[in-house]
Amino acid sequence: MRGGVGISLPRAQIGMTRWRRFRAAVDWPLVATIVVIAALGLLNLYSAVNGTRHAGKFDQQLRWMFVGAIAFAAFTAIDYRSLLRVAWIGFGLALVALIIVDVAGSNAKGSERWISIGTLGGQPSELAKLAVILVLARLVSDGAGAKPSWATLAPKLLLLCVPVVLIAVQPDLGTATLLTLIMLSVGFLALRDLWPMVYTLFGMFLAVPILWESMHRYQKDRVLAFLDPSADSTGSGWHTLQSIFAVGSGKLLGKGFMSGTQNQFDFLPEHWTDFPFSVWAEEWGFVGAVVMLALFAFLIVWLLNIALRARDAAGAVLCVGVAAMTFWHVIVNVAMVLGMAPVVGVTLPFISYGGSSLLTFFIGMGLCGSVSLRRHGY
Amino acid sequence: MHEGGSGGVALPTLGRRLRWVLLAMLICFGGLVVRLWQLQVMRGDRYRERTVSNVVHERFLPSIRGRILDRDGVPLADNRPAFNLYATPKAMTPALRGTLKRLIGLSDEELEKIDGRLAVAKKRKVRDPVLLLEDISRERAALVDQERYRWPDVEVRSEPYRHYPQGDLAAHLVGYMTQMTAEEASQLGTQGYSSDELIGRYGLESMWENYLRGKKGKERYAVDARGRRLDEATAAGLIQGDRVTEPVAGYSLVLTLDADLQRIAERAVAPHPAAAVAVVEVATGKVLALVSKPSFDPNVMTGHLTKAEAKFLDDDPRKPFIDKALRVPYPPGSTFKFITTIAALEDGQGREDEPIVCKGSYQVAGDRNLFDCTSSHGRLDLVGAIQHSCNVYFWSLAERVGLDRLAQVANEYGFGSRTGLGLNGDAPGRIPTVAWYEKRGRFVVGYTINGATGQGDVELTVMQLAMAYAALANGGTLFVPQVVDRVARADGATVIQYQPQVKNRIDTPPEILDLWKRGTYKVVNEPGGTAYGYVTSDVITIAGKTGTAQVAAKKAKKDQRQIRGWSPSADHAWFAGVAPADTPEVAIVVLIEHGGPGGKVAGPVAKAILEGWATRVRNRQHGTASGPLVGGAILGRLRQIVATWQLSQRAAATPAPGPEDEP
Repeated sequence: MRGGVGISLPRAQIGMTRWRRFRAAVDWPLVATIVVIAALGLLNLYSAVNGTRHAGKFDQQLRWMFVGAIAFAAFTAIDYRSLLRVAWIGFGLALVALIIVDVAGSNAKGSERWISIGTLGGQPSELAKLAVILVLARLVSDGAGAKPSWATLAPKLLLLCVPVVLIAVQPDLGTATLLTLIMLSVGFLALRDLWPMVYTLFGMFLAVPILWESMHRYQKDRVLAFLDPSADSTGSGWHTLQSIFAVGSGKLLGKGFMSGTQNQFDFLPEHWTDFPFSVWAEEWGFVGAVVMLALFAFLIVWLLNIALRARDAAGAVLCVGVAAMTFWHVIVNVAMVLGMAPVVGVTLPFISYGGSSLLTFFIGMGLCGSVSLRRHGY
Repeated sequence: MHEGGSGGVALPTLGRRLRWVLLAMLICFGGLVVRLWQLQVMRGDRYRERTVSNVVHERFLPSIRGRILDRDGVPLADNRPAFNLYATPKAMTPALRGTLKRLIGLSDEELEKIDGRLAVAKKRKVRDPVLLLEDISRERAALVDQERYRWPDVEVRSEPYRHYPQGDLAAHLVGYMTQMTAEEASQLGTQGYSSDELIGRYGLESMWENYLRGKKGKERYAVDARGRRLDEATAAGLIQGDRVTEPVAGYSLVLTLDADLQRIAERAVAPHPAAAVAVVEVATGKVLALVSKPSFDPNVMTGHLTKAEAKFLDDDPRKPFIDKALRVPYPPGSTFKFITTIAALEDGQGREDEPIVCKGSYQVAGDRNLFDCTSSHGRLDLVGAIQHSCNVYFWSLAERVGLDRLAQVANEYGFGSRTGLGLNGDAPGRIPTVAWYEKRGRFVVGYTINGATGQGDVELTVMQLAMAYAALANGGTLFVPQVVDRVARADGATVIQYQPQVKNRIDTPPEILDLWKRGTYKVVNEPGGTAYGYVTSDVITIAGKTGTAQVAAKKAKKDQRQIRGWSPSADHAWFAGVAPADTPEVAIVVLIEHGGPGGKVAGPVAKAILEGWATRVRNRQHGTASGPLVGGAILGRLRQIVATWQLSQRAAATPAPGPEDEP
């Protein structure tokens, strides 16, 4: 056994209490990393909304954090294998939710991403990612024994594309792209033969022009604005430009907590959802930004580490999926903030304001925690 | 590779491809870090500046424009507080525009103005307030202010505004201000002008712009993304350096003009549709009154001229925007005869007692034309010829000396060159010579005949003639007309004191000047004089010369507006003279454009002005009669400045009672 990774005892040590064994088995580095990132997220949100009419968002986020933490604990405790059994049911529920959103969702900013349940709003597309990851894990576990036949696999793979389409027509291009990236990443790490995937990718590239034609005007504008942010500095490019100003103006050490002028005086609209990294980089500078990226990098590496040590392929795929989800969320969101990607509604895990996103990541991490906890098969 | 607890990796492909995953992560995260380095470390300073300019805005603090005062401190141009409507282009949505229109009842013309200004401002900073409408009424200001809480980006500011308390008094001299053109705005932008401010456009307002303007102050303040001002404490933390640079008030001009005399002069020409008057001090060339009629109300011109009014003024055939005292040269008629007199006597070509018989017409050698005199004067000597304005006498003299000699004397007296005042397109006029005619064709003696009596191609301005008559009365010193006596600071202290400037010293023998004096005395004061009965005054003795200048028959254009009592083909009526006759103090020139016979039309005007001068201006001790200065300013700052100004004025005025001070 190499390295100080994990604690490698539980079953061998006779006479330990169940609680001590549980405590020893829980993946503390994972928990600690999440706690640190979430704390930074709260700190950042506090700076972003304090003193404005959005100040209530901090308390709201705190409540969701609490709910998320419980969800994390619960999903760590639940055996992921029992979840795999109901993966298709979860997938089906996610599809239903997505359809409801498509048909009757409330309109937020011209697209239909929200579903209202009482006074709570939720974005099923966020949770749909988890459902897809679970189904992917289930597919791998189904195919673990026998050699997978394309005849049985193909319809299931096609079924996996349904949520992508449903999300894309909301229209929420960001999440749809993200979901695709997650599936491709998992495919890359789980498929023995990569060629079918390469063919599929090639086909998708061919579909880009068709996709462009079917895009909404504001989406086209956003993509175009990304290509040349200074062209329309009051419209779509405004976000990108102001975000770049904010990040750049942070310089090496930042302007200090609560002192970012771009943030404090509202030059970045809605910066608590899509642009929290901009706020962070403005106030904490290059050093702070790199520290946060390092934390995410560590989290992702740690998730892959859990995947490597998982007791079965399904658990490994689960962790790979969650790691990929985290990775792409971070990369796309930060790239967007830095003006390297178009402005799409992709959140920064644990930092962005919003219940759906938080819950998704807490549950995702819970699943990985569960895989980690059960790596020794007790 | 790490060995799993249950032996081997559960997902073999993961182990194999892990290095690619780590490489991909390295590239992606590395890319982000490189980008962060680029933005935050390499370009950090630039972006920091950008974010500061996002938040910290600058606003000019208006400087108070210098005032224009008459010689006694009566304000001709002043400042008063006015309500100016401002809004940020970003806030001016079509809906708000509509609401505003209904709320304060904007006219189409005003809306057009507003839209134009917004369009210009939009190209620059959409979050900076731009002046929409200047000098709105108190009622409108109140209406907008009431809605302030609804539209924080629309505001009414109380700012000093140019005001001409005497209305159209000396309008051509004082001038007016207008909005800058886009071109001027881009040129002057670097000199601290903002595009929405007024700039001196005409008269002294334009010529002395650099002195009057002052220096604007600057205020830096912090705003959020919506352009709302941040509180003082927050702003203090964001703004480095001075928050406020105080404005410097412009210099005031103290004129040589006498507002009372100016008013007397303008009242005197009131019955006439078009006229020009100049009254100058004989001993100094200082201008006491300068009238050009028709004129305009500078208060209207300064930011309140509607298109309809502008069109009405533009369509006036009398050209109200052209200064008739300075810019338009007219044939002087018989007022020009002193040139002929001086030329002939200096050359020994004539004698005072030389009798010439006037039979009512004159035949020039080699010319078939017969030149008609005003009447058949009979036998006259030179003084009599001046008195009766006998053309024949002067034609005879002119024929002897020739046109070029007349031109030489005329040039000595300042005709044919600009007075040096440099205001309102001050014209040189025209003194023709033989060469001048030959360049244009053939010279004939008839041109000399015309020139001798100020007809034909001889043209000069009212101002020029007034300076020449002053020179005749002061022994031959031709002054540059002086309008500005001194430049003063806002607190009253003199910055520049101007001394009378001599344009030319003419060595006309005193006997000739004396002869001219006697002749002009008789014109006014002895029966048979052309101005006798019209200018003859028992208040003050006046000496002068009448002139009736024929104009080349011109028909009014068909579409021209008809002006009662004014026909473009009628003679110009002149009177040029001095008072008091024995020891002249002031010279006066009155021109009634297309008014008719000089003595009858221009004479009474000159008489009224000079009598007014003698009774109400001459013996006044300057400085005390002004009374309290009209402050007109309500803003605290303005009032303060005015108070200091008043104090210094009084202090300067009281300690020196003149010799004529009556007990």
